[in-house]
Amino acid sequence: MTQTSYRLGVDIGGTFTDVVLIATDGTIYSKKVLSTPRDYSQGIENGVSALLGELRIDAADIHEFVHATTVATNTIIERKGAKVGLLTTKGFRDVLEIARFRTPRLYDIDYKKLDPLVERSLRLEVDERIAADGSVLVPLAQADLEAAALVFAQAEVEAVAVTFINSYANAGHERLAAAFLAQRLPGVPVTASVDLLPQLGEYERTSTTVVNSYIRPVVERYVSSLKARLDKLGIRAPLMIMQSSGGISPGDVVARQPIDIIESGPAAGVLGGQRLGMHIGEGDMIVFDMGGTTAKATIIEDHAYALCPETEVGGGAALGTRMIRGAGYPVQVPTIDIAEVGAGGGSIAASDAAGGLRVGPRSAGAEPGPVAYGNGGTQPTVTDANLVLGYLNPNALVSGELTLDVDGARAAVAALGERIGLDPTQTAYGIHSIADAAMLRALRGVSSEKGRDPSQYTMLAIGGNGPVHACTLAEAAGMKRIVVPPVAGLFSALGMLFADVEHQLVGAFYRRLQDVDQALLETAAAPLRARGLDMLACEGFSDPAQQRLTLYADLRYMGQTAPLTIEVPKGERVMERLAEAFHGEHQNVFGYASPSEPVQFVALKLVCQGLPDQPRMPQRAQRGAEKSVARYSRQAYFGKAGWLETPVVARNALNEAAVEGPLIIEEYDTTIVVRPGWQANRDSWNNVILTCTAVSE
Amino acid sequence: MIDPIKRELLKNALITTADNALVMITRTARTSNVKNSMDFSAAVCDGKGRVVAQGLAVPVHLGVVMPALAACLDWFGDDIQDGDVLASNDPYSGCSHLNDIFTFQPVFVDGQRVAFVSLILHHSDLGGRVPGGNSADSMEIFEEGLRIPPVKLVEQGRVDRDLMRMIEFNTRVPDRVMGDVRAQLAALGQAAAEVHRLAASWKPRVFVEYLDDLIDYAEILTRSSLEKLPDGEVEFEEWNDDDGVGHGPIRIHLKLTKRGSQILADFSQTDTDLGGAVHCNRAFTVSCTYAAIRTVLDDAIPNNAGLYRAIEVVTKPGTFVDVVFPAAVGSRGQVGFRLRSIVLGALAKLIPGRLPACAGGSEFAIAASGEDDAGRRFLHLEFHNNTGLGGGPTSDGQDAGPYCIGNLANVPVELIEAEYPIRIEEYGFLPDTGGAGQYRGALGLVRQYRFLSDNVQVQVRSDRFQSRPWGLFGGGPGVGAKAWLNPGALDAEALPSKFIRRFKRGDVLRAEMAGAGGYGDPAKRDPSAVQEDLRQGKVSQRHADEIYGAG
Repeated sequence: MTQTSYRLGVDIGGTFTDVVLIATDGTIYSKKVLSTPRDYSQGIENGVSALLGELRIDAADIHEFVHATTVATNTIIERKGAKVGLLTTKGFRDVLEIARFRTPRLYDIDYKKLDPLVERSLRLEVDERIAADGSVLVPLAQADLEAAALVFAQAEVEAVAVTFINSYANAGHERLAAAFLAQRLPGVPVTASVDLLPQLGEYERTSTTVVNSYIRPVVERYVSSLKARLDKLGIRAPLMIMQSSGGISPGDVVARQPIDIIESGPAAGVLGGQRLGMHIGEGDMIVFDMGGTTAKATIIEDHAYALCPETEVGGGAALGTRMIRGAGYPVQVPTIDIAEVGAGGGSIAASDAAGGLRVGPRSAGAEPGPVAYGNGGTQPTVTDANLVLGYLNPNALVSGELTLDVDGARAAVAALGERIGLDPTQTAYGIHSIADAAMLRALRGVSSEKGRDPSQYTMLAIGGNGPVHACTLAEAAGMKRIVVPPVAGLFSALGMLFADVEHQLVGAFYRRLQDVDQALLETAAAPLRARGLDMLACEGFSDPAQQRLTLYADLRYMGQTAPLTIEVPKGERVMERLAEAFHGEHQNVFGYASPSEPVQFVALKLVCQGLPDQPRMPQRAQRGAEKSVARYSRQAYFGKAGWLETPVVARNALNEAAVEGPLIIEEYDTTIVVRPGWQANRDSWNNVILTCTAVSE
Repeated sequence: MIDPIKRELLKNALITTADNALVMITRTARTSNVKNSMDFSAAVCDGKGRVVAQGLAVPVHLGVVMPALAACLDWFGDDIQDGDVLASNDPYSGCSHLNDIFTFQPVFVDGQRVAFVSLILHHSDLGGRVPGGNSADSMEIFEEGLRIPPVKLVEQGRVDRDLMRMIEFNTRVPDRVMGDVRAQLAALGQAAAEVHRLAASWKPRVFVEYLDDLIDYAEILTRSSLEKLPDGEVEFEEWNDDDGVGHGPIRIHLKLTKRGSQILADFSQTDTDLGGAVHCNRAFTVSCTYAAIRTVLDDAIPNNAGLYRAIEVVTKPGTFVDVVFPAAVGSRGQVGFRLRSIVLGALAKLIPGRLPACAGGSEFAIAASGEDDAGRRFLHLEFHNNTGLGGGPTSDGQDAGPYCIGNLANVPVELIEAEYPIRIEEYGFLPDTGGAGQYRGALGLVRQYRFLSDNVQVQVRSDRFQSRPWGLFGGGPGVGAKAWLNPGALDAEALPSKFIRRFKRGDVLRAEMAGAGGYGDPAKRDPSAVQEDLRQGKVSQRHADEIYGAG
């Protein structure tokens, strides 16, 4: 018997912890266990040891462990972070609390923004001032620093953030102050904002630094406790954590800079989709991820996802939209650009005073959950509707571990239908379609932002509910092709195993393009390069062939708000070609370019990747120990086509030959509903491919 | 027979179309202002010009679409063809101020006009005597820029190049404005095509029936929401400090009558208008009224003509809130905030225990222009309309809490300093300025500017120096606004609420913006809340002793 080695991916959600194990030959095993909110690492231990036990795999054969976690976000939402002290420039103590004055909810007179993470009494001022050009207007007042150190010590703060006005132009005062406080407050991590985000924008920089300080001790504790558990299990592979940008990074590194992992889980799904697309030749995709409470849509264009420079944390998905932000604390780190709507399996359907039917934004969440879960839910949800329509197996969800109460679901849907004058089937189908309409807004939104139509993309349907809604949603959006990857329901846990080690470094560089030549640009980038190479070497990528450094410049027209990130070309005429690339991209994104207007650098970014010596993507993937569903059929409802006797099969019953819908493909972690007018086949990577042959409605 | 599911799906599809048009505008417009202030809106109307669905929009655009479209329909009558784009910016043809260009495109199916799509976009400059068109002291609309009556900007698919040139020659920033006009036309055309695609998949008769029903649906929801509110008649009045040309204070009076499922807002006892540009036309008053009333209604009511049916607004021509031709209206934004707070005040009296006291802020706007030392011209615009929320029935007004019907972001200090010869010396809370109460109002804010080049022209439009943000049910008003030239220096001078003047190099402008109103008797304030405010430095010991008898 040859020695097989394995890689483990673990994705923690609010309700479930997903564990995916993949062998070198592409065999996939998975386990879904309940999350353990008191200490999430406990759930990981439970899931991993159960899976290894079942498969009789030796922990020593795990040579990689990648993890996506919500610990950073939860710390904010549950307000369990550190007591933080903030030191700012005299006159600007309230910047953090004033924030941006944006509400995500028009007409909601009761809306209040989140309270600041540092109360006013712990936001202290120091007399000092740097001008926008970096010159010192007021020297740093030593006496104020002494006083601040005393207050912070007395208050027993657990972390300190230092943010001075214009520090991005001259970091001197900030670094001096941070060093002084670090010396006076032993054991308390002190962060200068420029070391985290050397960029213009005092509120955004302050918020980013404060969020980092606030969550850092919690994430540090989490990482060390998780490492202890991996040791206990005998797993010797280093702990790697998924970052919001789509790369992975060692646990110790993200523990110091936990703002990088806020969108860890969602990023893993998109990254996995992008890598899968590379493998199977799908360059333009919309990754559609529908879970229990939210649905997410992400565009992949020409094999690349877009990064946005900012995310918000702690605001909740139902608040805010792509266009009106302001619900959470802004954090400026590169984050995969994902659109989210509050529609999922748990979204509640209700009637209104005018006999209308609404779905969401309220959600039954995990507790009590849909009526069918029998946990006390009384209001019908999208999942209840899908059950009534015959899409979901009435006997089992999650591989038989949860039996569904079909009668309860049907009664709840019927009662709602009575209030609006529709029969239970019409009502259930209506709930399903209205949920699609909410998700379509996200899909249309992300594609319109690119100036394109969803019909030009292939859909990658993932998440527990994604493949249930994929066909109807695709029809509503005019999309003709759907890919449902293996373990679609826990695809994030698989996807993170395809990611590369990556660090995104940002350097301050606020200058007019015309004032910069190639030598100056290289001088400015040099410290970033040195830092990046150092980090990669520490992680075992010391051979230059394993190091890929890509330099980007954030550029904008003078006076514009949002910069564009442009790769700095190599070779000759660098500045000219950089300017050309900027004008071209501006034309592309905004529909116009103004080559005569002055262009400005906002920042430099260096992306440092550690390249593996073996491909991260197996040649094909198959599910180990897959249960074959005995071929049977059940009644399912398809709108105008009515109730149809629908065959129910397992994924491995399909091959390259197309099978006409209606068809239901039942899996451990999701259900693929193939409507009439669609056909399904299985490709060599074990994806289910759905193709629209006719529009059924 | 109307199928509620089809109706819900159609409603969603129409809103998605409107939102999409806005996404496209944000993507293609030239002015970064578009992204920052979101001063635009998109709507789908039926063939008769009634709003059926409106996308995310600046709240004061709620209800402005119909009067402007009605004026276009009046003018063109039957002469509206497929591929036409009707446009106007004339406040005396239903629009609201000259910077907002309204555009409408009809949608025909089988020869029948089944819908209009509408797109309103704020343009940065359309001429006039002051850049940006926001001056408080204009007397006539003719001083404010290019006035576009209902015209066909596009006729059966052909852009009217003469009209486009006319616009181009009447703006200080032609590149930007023409780019934005083209972006507006492109997004409008896309939205019209989408609505056409949608409508064409229905029988025209049935499509029209469902549009009708969506309006009825909104009306039923609105009325059912209104029925849950107590009946009654309340009066509320407030004063605008002045009108920008020396008259004041000006009384704005509202009698709000709510009976069953109908609400009547009567402004007819408001003071007569005497001039200036700080006042508004009827369409804008109506919009502000809808926006404020909307806050006490079911959040899910579609923004359409059905909502408006249940709300009647009465104004008297020639008053401060219903100005007559040829009055200037460029600074109407200021009174718009005032109108919303008056309607909310009346609602607070009508529905005790539901709404907070008056939001803080002095509707402060500043335009600073001049030349930097390198000889480059600059124009810096900033709006700080609100400072925080009024004390409410169960909690303090949130300091720096965002005001839901005046959603506008502040500008980063570092951005201003990097771009303009201006330094911001202070931006923070003013302790002791929140209105006293069981639940105190939010603190006022200070923003202090130092000008770093010679001869900077500064135009300020603000208010609430005398007329302070009101408290409710025994709560006190927030501390009023103040402005200073060179505070603490020998040449220190108190400045008025509205002015245009030249600042020298090194001059300082200190703008202290009003705090919000308090709610309930200050004597009932929880002593621990007073202690907490003391601890956070949000009130001083003296203030705590005087107002709350702290100890």
